[in-house]
Amino acid sequence: MSDLNDEYGERDAPDERDAELYDGLLEEELRQAAAILDPVPAELRRTAVDAFALRDLDARVAELTFDSLVDGIPVRGEADPPRMLTFQSDGVTVDVEVTAEGLIGQLLPPGPAGIEVLSGPRAHARLTADDMGRFTGEAPPAGPFALRLRTGREVVVTEWLRA
Amino acid sequence: MNGLLTVGTLHSTAYDGMSYTRGGTVDRADVGALVQSAADGDAAAWKSLVDGLGPLVWSVARSHGLSDADAHEVYQTAWFRFAQHLGRIREPEKTGSWLASTARHECLKLLRASKRWTPTDDPQLLDRPSEDRTPEESVLDSEEAAAQTERVRLLWQEFEELGERCRQLLRVLISSPPPSYQEVSAALGIAVGSIGPMRQRCLRRLRARLEARGTK
Repeated sequence: MSDLNDEYGERDAPDERDAELYDGLLEEELRQAAAILDPVPAELRRTAVDAFALRDLDARVAELTFDSLVDGIPVRGEADPPRMLTFQSDGVTVDVEVTAEGLIGQLLPPGPAGIEVLSGPRAHARLTADDMGRFTGEAPPAGPFALRLRTGREVVVTEWLRA
Repeated sequence: MNGLLTVGTLHSTAYDGMSYTRGGTVDRADVGALVQSAADGDAAAWKSLVDGLGPLVWSVARSHGLSDADAHEVYQTAWFRFAQHLGRIREPEKTGSWLASTARHECLKLLRASKRWTPTDDPQLLDRPSEDRTPEESVLDSEEAAAQTERVRLLWQEFEELGERCRQLLRVLISSPPPSYQEVSAALGIAVGSIGPMRQRCLRRLRARLEARGTK
């Protein structure tokens, strides 16, 4: 190592080390402050603990493959367009349209099904898809929801999301 | 909980004894094992995951500047979806990043939705005072803690007045237990390599603000 480097080493390195130490202390102090002033609300933590009941080993998950909020083309002049959602699992497609008035859905391939509208660990409402796979219901509740569909052959649950 | 305001005491039981390193390899083997146990039906393992990773999910929601009601929904959606995918998670040890990324995408969606939509949030959820006093809040009530309380409030106030990018990064970094840089990257959609330099810049900016106010 040259004299120059030694000189720098003596002069700057301890300062930088101190600064990094201060960074770490300040970050830790902020962490304590966040835990005090902005913790996970207790009722939310309970909801997450209770969500263990939502693991549904028999059901297949139909993943969200289209969401008009993300994939849609904005429609000019329409202030509050309906939310169009498509969920897919192997062989089953669920199209859902959500507006303030209610929920309209189409199950493909068409066929009858019992449908539960889930709002957290509890079922919020029960609907029925007719022989053509069509179903209607009230608008889903505030907060995240999912549909649990029981066709003749299988159970499919749509991915959780907020309407 | 005693020794509240000393380093490290707020870590949840699930993570006690785990060593964290920054920007490199964080041992997440325990998370993978907990996810496996939870998938096998172990409710206690699930609870440990909620306590260990919940604050990270919450920090993601908070760092995106959502309303309280929206932040609640992001947190719920992430956990509901995780429960739904439990047993199908491909890399269980990366569950923290999975949750952080899920929460981030929900945040971005809600932000997009709120632009076209006047929120009619559940009034019950808006500004609802917390029903439970956390142990931390109870400590704040005591007389001896008054000076400490003042310091914490001031620190938080200066933190909240930082620019948006710094506030966002730091809010996620300071979740408890400390997240790995991979998780921070998933939470905010920024490259792992840029987190260290940004962190340094933001913390020094905060320190300068505190010094300007006459507090160290």
